[in-house]
Amino acid sequence: MTGARRTTLPARGLRFLLARRRVLLRLATWSVLETGQTFLIGYGPARALDAGFLLGRPDTGLAWLAVTGLGVLLGAYGTARVYTAVAELVEPLRDRLVERVVSRGVRTGDAGSLSGLTQQVEIARDTFAGLVMVSRSFVFTAAGALAGLFALAPPLLLVVGPPLAAGVALFAATLRPLARRQEAFLVADEALAGHLGTVCPGLRDITATGAEAHLSAATGERVEAELRAARALAHWGVLRVASLALGGQLPIVLLLAAAPWLLAQGVTTGALVGALAYVTQSLLPALRNLVHGLGASGSRLTVVLRRLAPAEPEAPTGNAVPARPEPTAEPPPALALSAVTFAYGPASTPVVDHLDLTLPPGSHLAVVGPSGAGKSTLTALAAGLLTPDRGTITVGGHPVPGPEAAAARVLIPQEAYVFTGTLAENLAYLRPDPVPEEELLAAAEAVGLAPLADRLGGLGARVDPAALSAGERQLVALTRAYLSYAPLALLDEATCHLDAETEERAERAFAARPGGTLVVVAHRISSARRAGRVLVMDGRNTAYGGHEELMRSSALYRDLVGSWTPGPARRRSEPALTLGDADRVDAVAGPGLAGDGRHVVAHGPVGQVQAPGDLRDGGSLGREG
Amino acid sequence: MSTRADDDAAAGHARALLRTATRYSGPRCAALCLVSMAATGAGLLLPTALGRALDLLLAQAPATRWVLSCAALVLLLALLDAAQTVLTGTVDARSTAWLRRRLTGHVLGVGPRAADCFGSGDLVARLVGNAAEAGTTPAARAALLAALAGPVGGVVALGLIDWWLAAVFLAGAPVLTFLLRAVARDTTESAGRYQRAQGRIAAALAEAVEGVRTVRAAGTQDRETARVLGPLPELSRAGHRMWRVQGRAAAQAVAVAPLLHLGVVAVAGVLLTRDRLSVGDVLAASRYAVLATGVGVLVGRLAGLARARAAARRLGEVEAEPATAFGARPLPDGPGRLELRGVTARRGGRAVLDGVDLVVPGGTTLAVVGRSGAGKSLLAALAGRLADPDAGEVLLDGVPLRELPHDDLRRAVGYAFARPALLGGTVEQAIGLGLPSSSPGRIRKAARAALADDFVRRLPGGYATPVADAPRSGGESQRLGLARAFAHGGRLLILDDALSSLDTVTERRITDALLGDGPGTTRLLVAHRSATAACADAVAWLDGGRVRAVGRHEELWRLAEYRAVFGEPAGAVSGAET
Repeated sequence: MTGARRTTLPARGLRFLLARRRVLLRLATWSVLETGQTFLIGYGPARALDAGFLLGRPDTGLAWLAVTGLGVLLGAYGTARVYTAVAELVEPLRDRLVERVVSRGVRTGDAGSLSGLTQQVEIARDTFAGLVMVSRSFVFTAAGALAGLFALAPPLLLVVGPPLAAGVALFAATLRPLARRQEAFLVADEALAGHLGTVCPGLRDITATGAEAHLSAATGERVEAELRAARALAHWGVLRVASLALGGQLPIVLLLAAAPWLLAQGVTTGALVGALAYVTQSLLPALRNLVHGLGASGSRLTVVLRRLAPAEPEAPTGNAVPARPEPTAEPPPALALSAVTFAYGPASTPVVDHLDLTLPPGSHLAVVGPSGAGKSTLTALAAGLLTPDRGTITVGGHPVPGPEAAAARVLIPQEAYVFTGTLAENLAYLRPDPVPEEELLAAAEAVGLAPLADRLGGLGARVDPAALSAGERQLVALTRAYLSYAPLALLDEATCHLDAETEERAERAFAARPGGTLVVVAHRISSARRAGRVLVMDGRNTAYGGHEELMRSSALYRDLVGSWTPGPARRRSEPALTLGDADRVDAVAGPGLAGDGRHVVAHGPVGQVQAPGDLRDGGSLGREG
Repeated sequence: MSTRADDDAAAGHARALLRTATRYSGPRCAALCLVSMAATGAGLLLPTALGRALDLLLAQAPATRWVLSCAALVLLLALLDAAQTVLTGTVDARSTAWLRRRLTGHVLGVGPRAADCFGSGDLVARLVGNAAEAGTTPAARAALLAALAGPVGGVVALGLIDWWLAAVFLAGAPVLTFLLRAVARDTTESAGRYQRAQGRIAAALAEAVEGVRTVRAAGTQDRETARVLGPLPELSRAGHRMWRVQGRAAAQAVAVAPLLHLGVVAVAGVLLTRDRLSVGDVLAASRYAVLATGVGVLVGRLAGLARARAAARRLGEVEAEPATAFGARPLPDGPGRLELRGVTARRGGRAVLDGVDLVVPGGTTLAVVGRSGAGKSLLAALAGRLADPDAGEVLLDGVPLRELPHDDLRRAVGYAFARPALLGGTVEQAIGLGLPSSSPGRIRKAARAALADDFVRRLPGGYATPVADAPRSGGESQRLGLARAFAHGGRLLILDDALSSLDTVTERRITDALLGDGPGTTRLLVAHRSATAACADAVAWLDGGRVRAVGRHEELWRLAEYRAVFGEPAGAVSGAET
């Protein structure tokens, strides 16, 4: 699992096998039974003819055949045991692949890891098992047959051996180009499947834009590419046939052609028949399995493994579970951004542009602005999930990113994370040590989770995330964050699925946390009103101040407040309309976003803050409620 | 769900598909049939030739002719094998490609209905997996006769050498199979346990993937990984068990054929001692016994054909869904007047729209409002013929939509959706989807109108960013979808809840741009917010599948029930779209 060094797939495979020498030994031991069976398949009938039937002694002949039959049964037993040994090779590989897929999925949030888990890992498991079986079978069968030939009459080896070696050599030489064709085919097949995977869910949009012909042509191109790859593969298949003919069928003719010489060398009739049996019944099928199995499965396994286990990327930033921070004499600002600039690509316009912001401990800030203004980017920067292109960020005086800063903040995103487990496990998730039940209950009460906890059946009840509504999941996530030791809470639309009263209760609970600083990406205007300070983000029109102040100075803020109130009925209560993306797609798990590793949206730039103000005046406004 | 008639139709379509696919590679299939028969024939001749050559060689008689004919047969077999390999691979590939082209074209012709009927994931599985399986049918059928002839020929040849040999083979086969079957165990149980453990891991991983922001922010990646991997030991145990069970089944399979073969050789040996057979005959008998045990292969092939047939049926089901038909009546010039006459549409046996009459004069904007399930989206779909009504007619500038040719209809009507599917390689191509030629200027102008230009330019590659790599929120997706609709143009623009994920300021800016566009476009807006409805020239209030009222928003606002349409649900929790 360390894989920090960039190593090639074959080298890693070799390491994997070398670490399992005992299993390989067991595999070899049981395979020897198969070798024995193969040996008897030619030797038994040969002796049955020479010592029995040809001498008019049918009982001796039948005895030899019975021995051979016994060998077959023993060989079959060996086959059953071989499967068990193969399992000890295959299952650890599967375990390791599952571990990798899960570890990567958890880190990147790549939804593609799910299909990796259920499909590609299984393909790898099956093809690897097939490879082991086929190559092992060839080696041990060939050994049995060659030993049998030697036992019957050494000159037979001279006739059968060279063409067999030539056939295997030809196959080995063509293995690489064949594997390339096979890989090209798999790639074309996947490209087609991926393309159809976007076409089928998009049928409505294709019809609506009248783009059927365009998509049909685009699909046709991929179908054509796959067809070309498949045809090339079929043509290269001729090489397999050639290796088979050379290694497996030529010896038949050679045995006949050399028969007079062999008979002159003292080779018996039975030995000749036995040799033919070896060639047709053992070597030819084993070679056929090898030639067909190794070519197809080998490249399939390579492709899948390369996808599942690429050289491990950078080590995960190991910010451990937050521990209780030590109190300091002079409290540094809870959050400070200085000249922070951030863009999603080197060529793209910055989302956050030269932003300065200082929040003293205990303050309560609301961030508002149209969707795409950079609000989520700001929280991600503060949490250290994104690194600014320029400027510095500190949390509680600790530089971001860094373990101390990570321990001093908790980010609650819009998409609340609840996992299958007990409610207590879910709530204590951010705490390194076991949390007393009373503390959990008190937190649930403070945030407003208590009714749900009762309904679920208490803290020990198992939670099924799918059975909870989006709002209920948010309540769980909020209570969890409330319990964390981190003094700075970043709520990124974390209350968007709650109704106004529940939201207010939760926000006030956070604001009342002793020494707690709260940054809320506001979802309703009431959120902004509760906050002591408001940051308005939108392109160059960024403004900062108190509610009343901004109502006077910021047109955008007035606009936002105004549109929070529904059209013709301005008298109506304010919570009716939302400020943010109420049903924002979870971009991480969303379709088509697999593997991009980012989860924060590219938003509008934040210009220089117009009126930086002095936040220290704000004091602990958050506690006023 | 599906009736017997549907089944028959699907089976009929499946048969027709396979027939046409076979005809598509007709000459190749015929060649494959001949080649495979020739290969089987050569394979059946070879043992006799071997036996005869051996006898002559042992007798030290001149055997050159027979040795040469053996060599010729072996060479012929190799050549035929090569031809068969190429033909089978080519026919499989051609048939699969043909089926995929045909079915994809059909699915595109059916349109959104296809995804409704089968589900888009299942549709992909049919077009990819089932088409590949069904595509093996023509080649497998062409080679079936030869596959049958091999084992049968083997038994017959045994009988020709000596009837005892055939009798032993035929008697022994069922007995041995039966005796050894007792050893085999059912693999389904262990496979089921394996899949359950795998399912538990997958479910936990799906949760963690969804919560990745929380996990990453909390730095609990390692703990999460360990938690998700909890059932791994059980998976491993189940996996080992599976191999054990499979090993037992394999042991049975590898024992049957050699034992049968030995039985035949034993009888042949006894007959040799009685001088009824020569050594060459014994050799030939031994080879024929091997050929006869090829029955197992034949059974496997038949099972493969049955699977392919089942796959073809699933394609037949898709094919049985009729494609949308278009008319030939050209769309006359006009202001874009939309008219619904007595439109009724049923979904799942329920009339979602029930006799709706509605007129949107050219160049005006109509907002459609109503509670969830009132049929707003269906109405939007009918208005631009994404679906057809079960009764009634939809007319654009006096022409029923059904009578319009495809291009006229699609050029005239543009759509934007709440959750647009963005197709095309890059963001630019996604916005320009369906446009006849590339027109960067038009695309950027549309993006600006949809307030998407800013954030697109902030993407890592700007407009050239692959659409799959463009991280975007629901609001950003909607703006790209709007940009696509604006770039598309047309005399009728239908926005099906296409502003729902935008914040109110952005929404107002876009509606201002949209409505300030001039009288050239008729607009149909499905709206959830009163501010949106307030911008429209008129509002159609849908309730229970009927138009409850049409009027100006301010007038309707006096009605408490109308106001209730826009009220937030009273419950604790609500998504914007429930």
